[in-house]
Amino acid sequence: MAPAVTSTSVPTTLLEAYEATHVHAIYDRIALHFSSTRYKPWPIIASFLEGLEDGWVGLDSGTGNGKYLPLPLDRPGRLWTIGLDRSRNLLQIAQLAGGTEREVVWGDVLGSAWRHEIFDYAISIATIHHLATPDRRKLAVEKLLSAVSPNHGRVLVYVWAVRQDEQSKRDIPTDPASSGSGQDVFVPWVMSDKTQVFNRYYHMFEDGELASLVVLAAEGLGLVVGSPSETAGLKGVEIRQNGWERSNHYVELRRWQT
Amino acid sequence: MVRLITHNLLACHVKGCTANNFPLEFKDVQVVLRESEFNPDFLRGFIPKIDWAALTGAARQLGDTSLPDQLPEMLDDDFLKTLHHVLLEIHVEEGIMICPNCKHNYHIANGIPNMLLAEHEIG
Repeated sequence: MAPAVTSTSVPTTLLEAYEATHVHAIYDRIALHFSSTRYKPWPIIASFLEGLEDGWVGLDSGTGNGKYLPLPLDRPGRLWTIGLDRSRNLLQIAQLAGGTEREVVWGDVLGSAWRHEIFDYAISIATIHHLATPDRRKLAVEKLLSAVSPNHGRVLVYVWAVRQDEQSKRDIPTDPASSGSGQDVFVPWVMSDKTQVFNRYYHMFEDGELASLVVLAAEGLGLVVGSPSETAGLKGVEIRQNGWERSNHYVELRRWQT
Repeated sequence: MVRLITHNLLACHVKGCTANNFPLEFKDVQVVLRESEFNPDFLRGFIPKIDWAALTGAARQLGDTSLPDQLPEMLDDDFLKTLHHVLLEIHVEEGIMICPNCKHNYHIANGIPNMLLAEHEIG
């Protein structure tokens, strides 16, 4: 029986240190074992990448072991996805994802070490749920939106959901005090030798919370939320998909300007 | 790996460093050449995003002078193969990338550039 997911509360200060201890340091410790369990691309993410055009460059913000860097598999080398992660040990694995050399960068999802709006697409899979406050999660979405083209930039974000599917082995504790704003929890990672358990911090998202975060981030950047406007001179972002699958919430976004 | 495809996209992100923060300048580099598969369709799509002066400047810093100073109008296979080599086959394994504006040093080790900043340094 796996150890239980437990509730936690985030401190009000020194959030970077909190994430360093409860997220970054753990991924560096568990990198090899973690990577061995993460090899199958999820269909919605694969299909998003299949829909992109030859010659596009993208950012995988929180690439982990780089499992999305080789996609789409039917057009190898027609897109270049650059992997960014906070864990250097995971990046060493991502460097050779799919058996070919990849471009990876050691960085933070709250940084922006790129030419403004230079990417055609950005994905952030199972990453921003490791940021410890609503403001930091909103900033992460702002960074994704600012990384991509104002004309056609595509963004896909996945986060873990409080609402788990039937196959999930996890029982998520619900703290009634935080209803409507997700749950801050520790999710145990049991090493393969069963002797060590590492508790990773997650913010598990409530239904609707991810889309609300996108709206706040768009407002923060002065972007209209909705389909492309008839009015000239506007910049916006359209939420093309807003869904839940297999214990995760996801949004697909498209930037536009008129 | 830091290849010039990535270098052409990277910019300094130190707080307040928002002008003249690109391209980063290479220093003390160790370079390895490795062949990779030629994809002309990728290159044709990527060319409009390339900052050409930054690419030719960086290539020269790495000892490659094969690209013309101006992007040619005719994108024939010979040119695309040269571009492919410069963008995707020159790997900077070790070295430093320095911001032309604030002089922040970004170190490259084992082909991985360290773009992390302390939180108070991030803009």
